[in-house]
Amino acid sequence: MANVIETSSVFKAYGEQIVSKNISIAVAEGSIYGLLGPNGAGKTTLIRMLATITQPDRGEIRFMGEPLREKHSQKMGYMPEERGLYKKMTVADQLLFFAELRGFSKKDAQTAVKKWLHRMDMMEWAKKKVEEISKGMAQKVQFVSCVLHNPQLLILDEPFSGFDPVNADLIKDLILEQRNAGHSIIFSTHRMDNVESLCDRLGIIHNGEKVLDGTVSEIRRSHFKGAFELGYHNPVFFPTHLIQTSQMRETNDGKFTYTIQTNSAFSPQDLLQEGMKAGELIHFSELIPSIHDIFVETVAQAKLESNESVSIPPSKLIAP
Amino acid sequence: MKNIWVIFKREYLSRVKNKTFIIMTFLGPVLMVGFYASTLYIATKGSDDKRIKNVYVSQMIPFINDTLLSHEVANNSNKAKKNGTESGLLNTLLILAPSNKDSAIEHVKRGSVDGWLSIGDYDFSTLDSTNYYTLQTPSMIEMEILNKWIQDRAVQNAYSKLGLRESQIDSLRSQGSIKTKELSKDGNISDSSSDLKSGIGFGLAFLVYLFIFIYGSMVMRSAMEEKTNRIVEIIVSSVNPFHLMMGKILGVAAVGLTQFIAWIVLAIALISGISSFGIGQQKIEPTSMVNVPGAMGNSLSAQQIETIQSTGDAHSLLALLENLPYFQILAIFLLFFIGGYLLYSSFFAAIGSAVNESSDVQQFMLPVSLPLVFGFIIAQSVALKSPHGILAQVFSMFPLTSPVVMVVRAPFGVPISEIILSACILFASFFLMVWVSGRIYRIGILSYGKKPTWKDLWKWIR
Repeated sequence: MANVIETSSVFKAYGEQIVSKNISIAVAEGSIYGLLGPNGAGKTTLIRMLATITQPDRGEIRFMGEPLREKHSQKMGYMPEERGLYKKMTVADQLLFFAELRGFSKKDAQTAVKKWLHRMDMMEWAKKKVEEISKGMAQKVQFVSCVLHNPQLLILDEPFSGFDPVNADLIKDLILEQRNAGHSIIFSTHRMDNVESLCDRLGIIHNGEKVLDGTVSEIRRSHFKGAFELGYHNPVFFPTHLIQTSQMRETNDGKFTYTIQTNSAFSPQDLLQEGMKAGELIHFSELIPSIHDIFVETVAQAKLESNESVSIPPSKLIAP
Repeated sequence: MKNIWVIFKREYLSRVKNKTFIIMTFLGPVLMVGFYASTLYIATKGSDDKRIKNVYVSQMIPFINDTLLSHEVANNSNKAKKNGTESGLLNTLLILAPSNKDSAIEHVKRGSVDGWLSIGDYDFSTLDSTNYYTLQTPSMIEMEILNKWIQDRAVQNAYSKLGLRESQIDSLRSQGSIKTKELSKDGNISDSSSDLKSGIGFGLAFLVYLFIFIYGSMVMRSAMEEKTNRIVEIIVSSVNPFHLMMGKILGVAAVGLTQFIAWIVLAIALISGISSFGIGQQKIEPTSMVNVPGAMGNSLSAQQIETIQSTGDAHSLLALLENLPYFQILAIFLLFFIGGYLLYSSFFAAIGSAVNESSDVQQFMLPVSLPLVFGFIIAQSVALKSPHGILAQVFSMFPLTSPVVMVVRAPFGVPISEIILSACILFASFFLMVWVSGRIYRIGILSYGKKPTWKDLWKWIR
């Protein structure tokens, strides 16, 4: 599948501070890409470069195979993390303005605005000024303003922040709908629950560097470390040659759950057999780490590595 | 380019549709006239202190004729009584001082009189030993009045020595004032008035000054609003920041021009309404009233001017207005108003994009607005005194002051070569500034957080 947008070794620095260290990512057509990373990792910087607001110092960004130019911004919809609208303008005028900015003719813009207002059940609000409508309503207007020109690529920076749960779900549905219509979406987020249910692919960046990239199932699979969960009615004993570590915990309903890290030589099949021998087995499952766990682990790992690499050798600490 | 138009349209329509704009368009001229009228009123009516000042006056030379002074004093007090405060000596009542010097001083000290004018010379020919004793420092105007009174006395004294009476002296003064006749290179002679030209020039310069500030700060607020609203990031994702700035500057300029044209149309409607009403009552049949404004636009022959002049002041003023180089004045006004606005508003746009909140504006506003204020001061003093002088010439070339100074000179006739040169300098510096401002704008609109310093701005430009 062709990539809508891809970056190769994109580098950007503000003065001394490197905010994007040779990041390469690609968003395939009709897919959703999730960009994860702790605060200040460089997500917004990368997203701004994709949205043609800033340019990389080095490296290349390609849109539909062409080097990214300002004109491509017409085929993108962009919603920044910090967002706002003209308070004194009416909802309809505002949307018309954005549609025209994205290259629509006046007539096309009017049709698109009407269609979207209708869809969002906001026809009666069209003539209201933004300062007169509720915050949730304004958020909807905000989202419509970046999709109404039917963009091939939707770039969303923290799309769920600031939205109440009902509107966040609405946005989620709209994002999925865009994907199903063949458009691509890249978004950044802190919220792991959205990542697993929405994304086809995700990347984690930390300190301006990409530390992980892949499809959600790939990543989870690759982080599977041979851990299993076994449940019993009564406490049991496992032969020690099977396991690396084991943890026992008693659940509320009086059952006993064991988390077993196997030695790599054993297959799940072996463990199941041994487990059945040990007692009356009522529950057996693979423990595939959640994206949240992977995120925390990856970032912690990256922190550790970067700390090591920047630690100053003792000789340098001596004053000249 | 299309995006400049979209931005332009939004800036223009959102402002023109605004209620404040509509109200100001109708109320503006009224406020402006009111402002002028009240300053004029205050300037002519002088102080708010309506109290009549009592001033002792005495001549310390014992042998000169006391009767002359007492006659003057009596004359003054008669006038003051008759006209109230409108005496010949504006709020001042002269009283003959007691012959004892110490008691005169004592009265001034106690405040029973406001001052004591002690004239040390018998025929007023010198004022070296003439003193004014007073408790409070007198105003310049008070001193001016006393000085003038003594000067007048000196002249009258001299005339009366020749045996002339007061009424005769008054009739000796020439009546009216000098009329200016301007010669053009091709031999035409036309009436002219320096007062009128100064007035018009100054009025236009004031408009330019006011408009640059009003609309320049509108551009600034607009940039700031977009930044604080966080809407700017969405806009720059589809518009080049430079185009955004240009669209904004041009959109607000169009608002200013719209307002200005509305004012001109209102003024013409008002003036032609008044004049057709006035003349129509006297001579012209109601059916031909429509022709009046048109007739006024035609140039009048010399003979017509003569006849008009003899019919009275109001008409001669009209004739003088006829002779002004309208086209040149209007062309200079528009050219330098637009050029000045563009130059300054690109500064203002850069400021608006750099700051985070309105309280940070001040530190950047001052150095940017100083040249404009300075230009206005130059326009007030130098250009009115010597519109063709070297100072006026220099500052009508300097791009930061030329929008005001050149406009004040316009009615006096400025050589076309100077106008072209100055306009070229002005527009060239606009293009330079807009490039510089564009660079500040580009980075400024996306920089939040700490208050920018001059050093930051310099870094952004480079």
